[in-house]
Amino acid sequence: MADAVRESPVTTLDERPAPARPKRQRSSLAKREGRAAYLFLAPWFVGMGLITIGPILGSLYLSFTQYSLLQPPEWIGLDNFQRMLEDERLHAALRVTFTYVFVSVPLQLALALALAFFLDKGVRGLTIYRSVYYLPSLLGSSVAIAILWRQIFGTEGLINQLLALVGIQGQGWVSHPDHALSTLIVLNVWTFGSPMVIFLAGLRQIPTMYYEAADVDGASGFTKFWRITIPLLTPIIFFNLVLQIIGSFQTFTQAFIVSGGTGGPADSTLFYTLYVYQRGFGSFEMGYASALAWFLLVVIAGFTAINFLAAKRWVHYGD
Amino acid sequence: MAMRFGSVSKVAAAGMASALAVAACGGDDAGSSGNGGSEARGDQPVELRFAWWGSEGRNEITQEAIDRFEEKNPGITIRGEYIEWGGYWDRLATTTAANDAPDIMAQEERFLREYASRGALLDLSGYTDTIDFSQLDPLVMGSGEVDGGLYGIPTGVNAYAVHADPQAFADAGVHMPDDTSWTWQDYIDITTQISEATGGDVFGAQDYGGNEAGLNIFARQRGESLYTEDGELGFSAGTAAEWWENSLAMRDSGGTPSATLSAEIQDVGSPEQTLLGTNRAAMMWNWSNALEAMSKASGRDLVLLRPPGETENARTGLFLKPAMHYSISARTEHPEEAALFLDFLLNDDEAVDAIGSDRGLPVNLEQRERIAPELNEYQTIEAEFLSDIAPDVVDAPPAPPVGAGEFVDIIKRINVEVLFDRLTTQEGAERLISEVEAAIG
Repeated sequence: MADAVRESPVTTLDERPAPARPKRQRSSLAKREGRAAYLFLAPWFVGMGLITIGPILGSLYLSFTQYSLLQPPEWIGLDNFQRMLEDERLHAALRVTFTYVFVSVPLQLALALALAFFLDKGVRGLTIYRSVYYLPSLLGSSVAIAILWRQIFGTEGLINQLLALVGIQGQGWVSHPDHALSTLIVLNVWTFGSPMVIFLAGLRQIPTMYYEAADVDGASGFTKFWRITIPLLTPIIFFNLVLQIIGSFQTFTQAFIVSGGTGGPADSTLFYTLYVYQRGFGSFEMGYASALAWFLLVVIAGFTAINFLAAKRWVHYGD
Repeated sequence: MAMRFGSVSKVAAAGMASALAVAACGGDDAGSSGNGGSEARGDQPVELRFAWWGSEGRNEITQEAIDRFEEKNPGITIRGEYIEWGGYWDRLATTTAANDAPDIMAQEERFLREYASRGALLDLSGYTDTIDFSQLDPLVMGSGEVDGGLYGIPTGVNAYAVHADPQAFADAGVHMPDDTSWTWQDYIDITTQISEATGGDVFGAQDYGGNEAGLNIFARQRGESLYTEDGELGFSAGTAAEWWENSLAMRDSGGTPSATLSAEIQDVGSPEQTLLGTNRAAMMWNWSNALEAMSKASGRDLVLLRPPGETENARTGLFLKPAMHYSISARTEHPEEAALFLDFLLNDDEAVDAIGSDRGLPVNLEQRERIAPELNEYQTIEAEFLSDIAPDVVDAPPAPPVGAGEFVDIIKRINVEVLFDRLTTQEGAERLISEVEAAIG
């Protein structure tokens, strides 16, 4: 990543020595192309400004106000942030969200890597398997799947019916405070497809000569995996880790549907974003909700920064 | 790394492209429907959105009323939007915040003050020329008033009662109780007997612990109430604790389902998903105007019972309540047309014929009398129940304060904690009081 920043392809192109005349021509051409590029990019910039940056800055202002949506915001300084210290439901939401991130992300990545590893070994019909395993990633965050999940893990759902066949008396998984979060973790782990596809692409890029050399030296399968595959895959692992952590912190749909928007049973699936939503749209506390959203931004930025700092110790970029 | 990002950005680009395509289709759609609308006669076609909560059955009869209105007023189109209770308030808050509130909406007393005091609703007292108030029941009209303005018109009158399935009682070999004198202990015993007699196939009752209106009745029987006249909390921790002790007694005796099943069905809004609606329970607490929907869902002839304990304590707890209110958004572009539609819903024969007592018995006294002989069996039961209890209703509960809309979420959440023994009944009661006090500030 750092290397990419240091020598971006654009600067190398410009610094390439060229005869004086053609260079001037090319640069005016480049200018025209540049203008065209900006023209094509304009819709994105407008969208970015209006839909993303504008509201983000707006919510920063709102986080210092009391705002009930229907009346103009009223400046209250740091009160919202002070309130966060004593808000017990917020603390419950933080516990739920951290548990979810720290349990589901490693599990999901491990499963994705394991499956990618086996698929990479030359399974027949790879494209079919790849598509099949990828499918949950597309569906996983959809409302339909969340509803299905609620049914499957319900007191009289599929899981319990299967358990009943082997004589085990199941229980309501999504409605028990001790198990509801686990069902959502399982749901997230199940959507391992997109990291798996990225792992698969990464595995394909590892030159076979390393393995051949290791074979000559008589290395075992495990040694090859541990000493060659994993180190060369660390940039990909890192990439997936960063993306999945950020994504998991922002989980909303599944929790909203499975708990019917309540974060229940007994706040056991009260994800941070769900709590933000409840404060904002349930209790008309947009100011406090904005403050909560900004705190989440800080937490995610913090974890991403830690990730990048730690990456220096364990991520190897081939060259 | 840069190269690997390349494939990601390709996917993103593809996503963008399809999003744009979808957006383009959307634009097309809007255009064609606009053309369709202009075919209607009249100087300027008006389209109004009307949102309510409720079941598929309510949708059908409301749509029927809308169709009649559109026939009479060719220039006005009403687009109905319905969703179950829980989702309704999320959606209404979101659309109101986005300045996209429906022109006409169903409101409820716990939320009416919140919306009205924040300027989201139109003061209807200025529309006496369009809406005929002369026949509307003065006993409940006051419930739509906030700070001197009229922000909601009650749709009808309602009471909270125990819906019971006589066939389930008969199947279990348990006698129907005498609801004028049954005690809370009777209620617990009866639910237990039904569950025992059916081997747990049919529960005595669905859990009631997360029910705000039921707790209100329970508190009123003890001379307390949910809120005082000054908008403060009006019940003691002891009362709420006792409420849950009864609930746990039934959970433990099997009279009501296990904690997990109760937690699971606590939030379902539609009659088709309740235990009573699926013939899995013999009783359930619900509003009297839900009798028809509940009966149709269960396929049984349900009856209404007074809550238990009406004669064992200080006083009776039953109360009458406006079923819901019709309100108009303060930001509607067509207040006159919206008011015209409200007038139709409240006063027109055809609308009252279509809707019947689904939103409570009609608030229009003339209409209430007119349709009395035509009421179907469910509505007759409901009307008789309401006139039966009327002499025993001591007083009306005070209007709920701003923030009272949160009560229901709080009590449901704590109910689950109590059902799972994560809080004792006393801790649950204290938590309930502190959280509601915070909500109503």
